[in-house]
Amino acid sequence: MSSAATQPRTRLTIERRLNRNAGWTFTMYLSATLIGLALSALLLWTSGADVAKAFSALLKGAFGSQKAWIGTLSKATPLILTGLATVVAFRAQVWSIGQEGQVYAGAMGAYLGCLVFAGLPVALYLSLIILSGIIGGALLGTIAAVLKDRFDVNEIISTVMMNYLIVFLLSYLIGGGPWTEISSTVVYQQTGPVPDASQLPQLLGSKKLHLGFLFAMASAVVCYVLLEKTPLGYEIRALGYNPVALAYRGTNIGRTIIMVMAISGAIAGLAGVSEIFGTSHRLRSDTLYGLGYTGIIIGMIGGLRPLGTVVAGIIFGGLASGALYMKLLAKVPSALVPAMEGILMLTFLCAGVAAHYRLVRVGDGDV
Amino acid sequence: MPAILKSVNLTKRFPGVIANEDVNFELEQGEVHCLFGENGAGKSTLSSCLFGFYHPEEGHIEFDGKPVRFRSPRDAIHMGIGMVHQHFVLVADFTVLANIIVGTHEQGWRLGLPEARARIEKLCAEYGIELELDAYVRDLAVGQQQWVEILKALYLEARVLILDEPTAVLTPAESERLFRIVDHMCKLGLSIILISHKIAEVMQADRVTVLRKGKVVDTVRPADVTPQELTRMMVGRDVELRVARDTAETRATDTVSVLIVEGLSYRDGLGKTALDDINLTIGEGEILGLAGVSGNGQKELFEALSGVLIPQVGRITLTGEEIKGLPSRHYMDRGVGLVPDDRFREGLIPEFNIRENMILGWQRHDDYTNGIFLDHKHIGTVADGLIDEFQIVAPSGATPVNHLSGGNAQKVILAREFVHSNKLLLANQPTRGLDLGVIEYVYKQIIAKRDEGYAVLLASEELEDLLNLSDRIAVISSGRITGIVDPDTTTIEEIGLLMAGSTDGVAA
Repeated sequence: MSSAATQPRTRLTIERRLNRNAGWTFTMYLSATLIGLALSALLLWTSGADVAKAFSALLKGAFGSQKAWIGTLSKATPLILTGLATVVAFRAQVWSIGQEGQVYAGAMGAYLGCLVFAGLPVALYLSLIILSGIIGGALLGTIAAVLKDRFDVNEIISTVMMNYLIVFLLSYLIGGGPWTEISSTVVYQQTGPVPDASQLPQLLGSKKLHLGFLFAMASAVVCYVLLEKTPLGYEIRALGYNPVALAYRGTNIGRTIIMVMAISGAIAGLAGVSEIFGTSHRLRSDTLYGLGYTGIIIGMIGGLRPLGTVVAGIIFGGLASGALYMKLLAKVPSALVPAMEGILMLTFLCAGVAAHYRLVRVGDGDV
Repeated sequence: MPAILKSVNLTKRFPGVIANEDVNFELEQGEVHCLFGENGAGKSTLSSCLFGFYHPEEGHIEFDGKPVRFRSPRDAIHMGIGMVHQHFVLVADFTVLANIIVGTHEQGWRLGLPEARARIEKLCAEYGIELELDAYVRDLAVGQQQWVEILKALYLEARVLILDEPTAVLTPAESERLFRIVDHMCKLGLSIILISHKIAEVMQADRVTVLRKGKVVDTVRPADVTPQELTRMMVGRDVELRVARDTAETRATDTVSVLIVEGLSYRDGLGKTALDDINLTIGEGEILGLAGVSGNGQKELFEALSGVLIPQVGRITLTGEEIKGLPSRHYMDRGVGLVPDDRFREGLIPEFNIRENMILGWQRHDDYTNGIFLDHKHIGTVADGLIDEFQIVAPSGATPVNHLSGGNAQKVILAREFVHSNKLLLANQPTRGLDLGVIEYVYKQIIAKRDEGYAVLLASEELEDLLNLSDRIAVISSGRITGIVDPDTTTIEEIGLLMAGSTDGVAA
């Protein structure tokens, strides 16, 4: 039961920090990057690839030239948007997994707008298309919020289910339904190309980076201002921390949840608009797939903060963009790229937690 | 008498605080030893160390003269130490018998109910505990549930019993019975550590160890000291416990009724009647005290009167306007302030800073907004002014309230509710868990509001305080008002009877 040793010994324990320390936080994220890259290197090595060559190709493909940057930012655009959608919902501790479906709903809303408003002056036409997409995403988000408010339906379940619904709805519409492109004999799972007038203008004379990127940047600023500077943002943050006290002091929680889901859905919807009318120029399922789910990861890695989400979005955009290069130059199987993304996500999430703790040396309490 | 349980130079630290420093404590065989101190003085930390829940960083613990090291409460229980926590750990849908033997699994695969029953019946007879072993715990009163907890410890052959504020949930009569049995237990050889901050209970113990700021001030025999001396040891200075009430001529007698509650009944989501035909009036400049054992409908009453919940039956009239059914926003707009009993859960956003908490509920008010934006500058000015006015001790207005002590956090709520209300103040347990100095401050503030003409509803577990402060005292039991008494003519015994649900004692 007891030992005779009375020598004072010290040992390390882990304590929760009362205040966050910027230097420590930076150290943790730097370590996470290094550990993540090391583990990725291990993965590349076991697959038989030349690790150094692969990494240099990845870096070059992601950030090595203006063209690489444009590719990266273009890939980052929808991820930043779905990441921001996650930030708004998760800061309120509304656990929406519906970003995926809202991207689809946004794209479908916008495509509907593109059909309905055809023929209007270009500026008005584009604005209405974008607005229809935003409304599409917001509506889908609102449904889950109303179900939660009225009938206490768990938002995780309802949003996941609605993701399925909306994907199948699109499958019907473009896989034989009214929106299907029919070219002579073959039926593709896609619509025909959208009119030139409906396409989002390109930036910097490139063929990849479009107006959607500016929307993503603007959305980040709006999210920041919304959360930090407005009464609604105050309510959203308070809802996340302590809904009981918020309700005790007169705020209608149900209404706040509906606002959160509408805003989150609107931003995710914008990602759908941006992908379809900025990049693929026709409505198809595969280009949208996974944007919403990856956005959850981006938002989490960004620490549920708008600026962090932009940075995380660009890093993951770079990974996606550089991966093609890596595949071509270093003969790395493309399946390894999502695996590397997963590894980095795990190490970043660990860093986010570790940033709240510190190591301290204390005397040992043993007798 | 030899010491059965002992801490030697025990030190326990938490991030940023030393909860126990160099504590030497001795429990003798067969004594009732009281741990006395304010909240945060280190009573609970010390008992948690003795029970193996925490591990001291320095010093050690001796049991029966031998140094021991508890890895977990399991070790402590095995040695014969039992603890009854403030919050019971019982399975509501099990019988008393099942609750006592659950987790003991001494009999391998077989439950051995008949043997267990025989043993427990013997224990009950020995100590004079009356409990129906086949009753379901959910049907027991809180006071009886405590006996189940005590029996659990005795069943595990505890030789030392740690009782953490056992009377907090008891009526005066139940407390008296508890102390009788505790005395009897000691005669039969048990040793008892009693944690308390109530001076009357402390005076009944054999010895008292006073803790202040984590250190032992002294260990004394109550017979050798006066209650005043003990209080001074606990606080470290003299405290004016009594706050002067009004003289009779200025007391409200026929003033305007601010709040009229008629026939208010509320059935909760599980179909339990939480409020049963409540009738109350509170006049301008009047403090109505609310006495009752906690969990008898106080929380629901405060929630109903602030619009947080909407009772199915009855009327709530605020200065002539019927407002039952309106959401809480409307109560706030009409000048109702609320100090809820669970301050960090119901009154504050712990992660928000003091400034943000000062406007909780008023974040959309014109004063604090500038167009569609929050006017952070003005909010800061207002909040920092309140921090000065209410003597809130904090590095700055940007300090999150979860870094504040309970007293300072409570002052944030008081400040917010006082400046944003003007008619009715609802204060549920506003002093629970606070230091005496802060309690004094809180009461003075409430009296100041009363003098400004507020109607005040004040609930407290401290009957003495209610008797000192209230113009009238309403007693609540099982959701019913069992009586309204005059503090000048009533007795603790009368209130105690009403708290226990008897309506016989009501004076006409």
